[in-house]
Amino acid sequence: MASVSEMYDVTWEEMRDKLRKWREDNHRNSEQIVDVGEELINEHASKLGDDIWIIYEQVMIAALDCSRDDLAWTCLQELKRQFPGSQRVKRLAGMRLEALEKYEDASKQYDSILQDDPTNTAARKRKISILKAQGKSAEAIRELNEYLEQFVGDQEAWHELSELYINEHDYGKAAFCLEELMMTNPHNHLYCEQYAEVKYTQGGLENLELSRKYFAQALKLNNRNMRALFGLYMSASHIAACPKVNATVKKANVKYAAWATNQINRAYQLAGRGTKENKCSVKAVEEMLESMQITMS
Amino acid sequence: MRMSIKLTTQAYCKMLLHAAKYPHCAVNGLLVAEKQKEKKKDSHSTPILCVDCIPLFHGTLALAPMLEVALTLIDTWCKENKYVIAGYYQANERTKDFRPNQVAEKVGARIAENFSEAAMIMVDSTRFTMGCYEPILAIYDHHENKWKCRDCNADCFEDWCEAQKITSALLEGRSYESLIDFDNHLDDLRNDWTNPEINKSVLHLC
Repeated sequence: MASVSEMYDVTWEEMRDKLRKWREDNHRNSEQIVDVGEELINEHASKLGDDIWIIYEQVMIAALDCSRDDLAWTCLQELKRQFPGSQRVKRLAGMRLEALEKYEDASKQYDSILQDDPTNTAARKRKISILKAQGKSAEAIRELNEYLEQFVGDQEAWHELSELYINEHDYGKAAFCLEELMMTNPHNHLYCEQYAEVKYTQGGLENLELSRKYFAQALKLNNRNMRALFGLYMSASHIAACPKVNATVKKANVKYAAWATNQINRAYQLAGRGTKENKCSVKAVEEMLESMQITMS
Repeated sequence: MRMSIKLTTQAYCKMLLHAAKYPHCAVNGLLVAEKQKEKKKDSHSTPILCVDCIPLFHGTLALAPMLEVALTLIDTWCKENKYVIAGYYQANERTKDFRPNQVAEKVGARIAENFSEAAMIMVDSTRFTMGCYEPILAIYDHHENKWKCRDCNADCFEDWCEAQKITSALLEGRSYESLIDFDNHLDDLRNDWTNPEINKSVLHLC
């Protein structure tokens, strides 16, 4: 099989930079990381300098994702040799045990980290991941709540908790987690948009109106967020079609929905330029607008 | 008498490619069949052929708005192509968990409202291999508001040998890297959820 550098005509520096970008963006493209990383390690280790240690870590985790225990083991040994007694390396050893489904051994590994350092957040979060992997959602939720009482600023944890709640269909609590995230990240359009989706799913007129407001807010923060645009259309349409609303509210929401439809139409035309599939989507959007006029009457 | 469901290679292939693209996530999608012209007298003997698969989402499946958008748009696309939404598939986040959950049952029921013979399909990831030596689906029918599991074997495919061979070949070739689901489409409207390139690859290998 041809090497990555041959197939894509890239230099080892470009491969190293790609790995860094994936690290920074927290991409889980494990197969690619293994392909690029393994070649870098095998062919260009001497050129990487101190970067090699973080690359070993990144490649090890990706290798676990791809069931490449051979590669994961190699990376782990290198790291153990370079950083004996390191908590960070111990955690990686724990992750390997998790990948092998040796959850009890992994848990013991994390407990030993926590004995030396009770504030080690990484080890605590791994223990919660084990609960998740075992399908023990209720326990995972409970532990994560306890964790967040202590480490109230951990965004990753709040987001994880919101997902756990959504999977349990506990939308009220999921909304609460997203509210925490929106408070500390007021410019993040993704949190706004996810909050709006949760509110919409909860249902009821009040929640629909809230969802519409937050879809609109997400759009203000990023006017290319298609989910927010579609969400604005859907929530406004549902509100307009609701028999409980008065004429003023209905009229306003019909306007919002019509505006959204036009924006959606424009977005598709910009993207589509006449491809068959996009023609159908444009048609669907036009049908949406037509159905709007029916609810208006 | 329950109409049996059959899958074409293209439908099966794209389902598995979707699951393979996101091994760490739950994934779901729709199956479409050709619209029957009129009900024949012996229609109970003609199986429903699911000719294509539309991958929908990966990750969090339990939120409503984008699902409603997808169902609306795909419904229109179906009408244009004389298709009908005939089924729903889901692969859960945890490998060992292949029972239908609330999301699967809700979406399945919604589809069954418009198509009484709708099938709900769960992908069994524990048996998912590159070789694809056996069908890894569990097919559920809607019976009196409950979902009953039915046996899935080579009979559930238009041509199991072809499906096995082609799905395996596309997995080896990592075609799943270019598979587009509705989530990808929402990220960039130019991403085509009908997956014409993969359809071509399937035809090419037939």
